[in-house]
Amino acid sequence: MLQLEGFLQALNAGLLLGAHYGLMCVGLSLIFGVMRVINFAHGDFMMVGMYAAFHIFTLLGLGALLGEGAGPYVAALLAAPVLFVLGYLAQRFLVSRVTGTRVGNLEGEGHYAQLILTLGLSLILQSGGQILFGSVPVSVPSELSSEAWELEFAGGALVVFVNQARAWGAVVAVAIVTLLVLLITRSRTGKSLRAAADNVQAALYMGIDVDRAHRLTFGLGVAITAVAGGLLASSYPFTPYVGLEFVIIMYAGVVLGGLGSTVGAFWGGLLIGVIQQCSALLLPTQLQNTAIFAVFLLVVFLRPQGLLGRVSERT
Amino acid sequence: MLEIEELHAGYGGTPVLKGVSLRVGQGEFVAVVGPNGAGKTTLFKAISGTVATRSGRIRFQGTDLAAVPASRRAHLGIAHVPEGRQLFPSLTVMENLEMGASTEAGRRDWARNLDRVLAWFPILAERRSQLAGTLSGGQQQMVAVARGLASSPHLLMLDEPSMGLAPAVAEFIFERLAEIHREAGLTILLVEQRVAEALESADRGYVLEAGRIALEGTHAELRRDDRVRQAYLGM
Repeated sequence: MLQLEGFLQALNAGLLLGAHYGLMCVGLSLIFGVMRVINFAHGDFMMVGMYAAFHIFTLLGLGALLGEGAGPYVAALLAAPVLFVLGYLAQRFLVSRVTGTRVGNLEGEGHYAQLILTLGLSLILQSGGQILFGSVPVSVPSELSSEAWELEFAGGALVVFVNQARAWGAVVAVAIVTLLVLLITRSRTGKSLRAAADNVQAALYMGIDVDRAHRLTFGLGVAITAVAGGLLASSYPFTPYVGLEFVIIMYAGVVLGGLGSTVGAFWGGLLIGVIQQCSALLLPTQLQNTAIFAVFLLVVFLRPQGLLGRVSERT
Repeated sequence: MLEIEELHAGYGGTPVLKGVSLRVGQGEFVAVVGPNGAGKTTLFKAISGTVATRSGRIRFQGTDLAAVPASRRAHLGIAHVPEGRQLFPSLTVMENLEMGASTEAGRRDWARNLDRVLAWFPILAERRSQLAGTLSGGQQQMVAVARGLASSPHLLMLDEPSMGLAPAVAEFIFERLAEIHREAGLTILLVEQRVAEALESADRGYVLEAGRIALEGTHAELRRDDRVRQAYLGM
């Protein structure tokens, strides 16, 4: 009975944390899916998003204004437009030089250049973060992060604690993923992004401004991951190097779900959360991430296209 | 409508077009024929802006295209149906057509254009929710042509629409093109390796060889020309 309780507790923690991971993965996957860019700076953009949420919370006095319940969520959502602009500009002035319509004459379709550029961006964001924000861990004050709902099962024999901060964070994450999926499947802009992902040249022939589509995608992808970071920022003390801890989880989640699949990336991230938390029941905490990679390798061996990925020929 | 003067274009250090001049008048159906590697696709890409022009001039309805980026040329009324179809495979047939209607004119005329293309290619109505990547070659070519028409173009450019298709399917496509030209009065520029079929549908033609215009003339002149008969028509 005690073991079952432990498992349910870990499962619940994994699902809630996994929803946050899923949201991060969706941001990364959007950029890869549309632009075929492997963004090594993605974790660091998330870090900037976490600091943006932190400073928005403090500067606007959201704690006093909205209370420490809703305040951190509003701060996380407000970090999105800030990071959208940052991502948009990064694409406009830097990444666009090695992606999209200009890569035809670059070696390896610009992949080497993209690698070096995004790694460089990552280093600049980390070091810049340290200069601007310092290296003392901070977190967004939230009263919910120490509040839990108690769910009783089997007439009170089983009690599962649901952390309220994480639960509301998961709700926001699922809502954003749903909105994004609606945007890319239903709206004309979303369809243009998918068209540009399928075939850049044909998209140009249709009169689709592919460079603009890529700027939107990069801004959107960075903003989405920033919100995920902002949501975690109230229950996870962070420093300018926090990106390193998450970028690996993000890549694992995106590959698990199937490269380029937006919904798949969410499920991939969710699964990573569950594996990570459940493995803590069996393994010492230091080995938490080992279980992620064990499952990751298994998927790569057995189903290289990812759990939800399709094997498809690109024309 | 389209005037090209002394066009030089190519990839990297390799010149492909070495001084091509041609013109397409309002309402004309013009074919460019020639062997593989003559520069036919490069010519189309230069018009669409995905290959850089080295020298020479391309004017479309009086506008010099040099100053117009590739993504704006469709909005001027140029529809490019590329070689190998180049559909958006993960989008449905309907979504592919919607993408064709990305131009202002295409959005305005969407309902009318959709009715027309579904009348010309009825099979697309049946396949509207199918992913374009899963269609047969002939159906994909129909989507590619319909997608071009969905932009309400002034000029429809078709690059090897018969490529990889069974003769009967290719013939169906050529018949539709002739019908579209007749019924809609649309100006068409066609690039083809199937010289006989291309010259049959077109008013005028150019023979492109090794990056230069080797011959030009009306449909009847070219079909009578000994060089064309020997080299391309097998007579």
